[in-house]
Amino acid sequence: MGTSTAPMTVDDVVRLRRKKHRLQFGFYLVLATLVLWSIQATIIEDTDWDRIGSLAEIGKSVSHFIGIDFKLIPSLLGPTIETFMIACIGTLLGLVICIPAIWFGALNVTPYKPVTYPVARIAMTLSRSIHEIVWALIFVSAVGLGAFAGILAIAARSLGFIAKMSAEAIENIDTKPVEAIRAMGGSNLQVMIYGILPQVLPVILGIVIFEWEINIRRSAILGLVGAGGLGLVFFRQMNTFNYPGVTTVILAIFGLILIGEVVSHYSRKAMI
Amino acid sequence: MSDKPQNTVLVGDDVHRQWSRFKYPQTLINYGILLSVLLFFSYSVHYLNIPLDRILGMFGRLGDVLANRYYPPDMEYIADKGYLNAIIETVQMAYLGALFGLMISIILGWFAAYNVSPSKTYIYPIARIFTMGCRSVHEMIWAILFVTILGFGLLPGVLALTMFSIGFAGKLIAEEIESIDMGEVEAIRAMGGNHLQIFVYGVFPQVRVAFTGIAIYTWDVAFRAATVVGFVGAGGMGWYLKRNVMQIETQRTAAILVSIVILVVISEFISAWARDRMSKAK
Repeated sequence: MGTSTAPMTVDDVVRLRRKKHRLQFGFYLVLATLVLWSIQATIIEDTDWDRIGSLAEIGKSVSHFIGIDFKLIPSLLGPTIETFMIACIGTLLGLVICIPAIWFGALNVTPYKPVTYPVARIAMTLSRSIHEIVWALIFVSAVGLGAFAGILAIAARSLGFIAKMSAEAIENIDTKPVEAIRAMGGSNLQVMIYGILPQVLPVILGIVIFEWEINIRRSAILGLVGAGGLGLVFFRQMNTFNYPGVTTVILAIFGLILIGEVVSHYSRKAMI
Repeated sequence: MSDKPQNTVLVGDDVHRQWSRFKYPQTLINYGILLSVLLFFSYSVHYLNIPLDRILGMFGRLGDVLANRYYPPDMEYIADKGYLNAIIETVQMAYLGALFGLMISIILGWFAAYNVSPSKTYIYPIARIFTMGCRSVHEMIWAILFVTILGFGLLPGVLALTMFSIGFAGKLIAEEIESIDMGEVEAIRAMGGNHLQIFVYGVFPQVRVAFTGIAIYTWDVAFRAATVVGFVGAGGMGWYLKRNVMQIETQRTAAILVSIVILVVISEFISAWARDRMSKAK
């Protein structure tokens, strides 16, 4: 033991505590300054309060949205199904293109660590950091308008989350079955199929169902950039100033998401 | 015996029973579910008119589009002063939206946690439905609605991100509160503390650290959403993105996309670092 473990006196303890308090105080001060600065820039300077008008006028513009456009309901059925299908196929395609990313991105199974691991990690970060609207824009310019671009956007966006969580699941497996198969002379492929896959399959399925639930939410807005589904109807209602129609579309989205949430809850329960 | 399949078990004299993991009705149900899922997928490919034969050629075309039209990103455009200003606005918007959303979602999380909710019959379901409503409506739709009501600018963006953060953080906080140790809550209740005192002295100290983690994560996610809410006129970088997409200025669009990716990666690093430090300080 060195000299540095001399017993702390009361003064030392008090000084340390004071220092900690001062640091905390400085931290909170910085946070508060940032808040004030942001409020000043966004809410006070940038907002056109005359355009917003009084509280009564805001209430009036909100009241436009109250009500349901019953004439719109029959024509909503098709887009709703389309949105649901875009989410389903998008998630499936995302899972398929995920498989190499998972394989490369898990440290214990990646084939050649200095190259494949960073490649997979960069792909995951790219996929997660670009918003689905931006993905949809890119794919619309590549394959044209329609549901196909939406599916590709959903798949590209879900790759990051599924691959990251699944790679973490693979990194945390029990290594004993893997060692047993390797000791019996199993090849790398056999280790993967019989040693790793049975352990992580339920986890990956749970992740996929979770992502599917989020993808329903995402596919409902892809129509804004021309990728089909409920978003297109929403945009059209908005542009024709049919505000009760907007409320109707939002309620349809709400119902679809509710279905997705219930299905996801029960299927994840059934799997465990 | 040697020609018998290996997965049989000898029962009695010469009766071989096939071994399998699932029993008879369960196997039928499993196959039925698998078949119906496959049928659904193939039907939806047909319904959505997906050109399956073009999928393979698509990657080449995508590469072509990216290489020829998007490739040299117009970096001078994003070094422009107006654009840098828009980046700062985006950060401010995300910061304020996450902050307001978190302040509301602490209260909502308290109301929506079944074990400490002040009124299980009235307040609990209302708080649950409100949180779910915020979560199920996408941030772009919130942005469009607020832009319609309040006009263009940063304020509708802040409000849209607030709703988004409520949906995101409210559920996490409620779940965190539901998993606390109830002993302290009972102690305070036994001493005659009211609901507010229970929350402030019994619940909050237990979830404080988890709450900080959720707060950092919420800011990260809100920033990601803030980069595009401008697309519908709610301020920030999204407006630049929309303008250049509409004018088919593909190289400028590419530059904006690059800047978005860089900023999001930076914010992700900051958030990971902060959460890491926090879990060490715990």
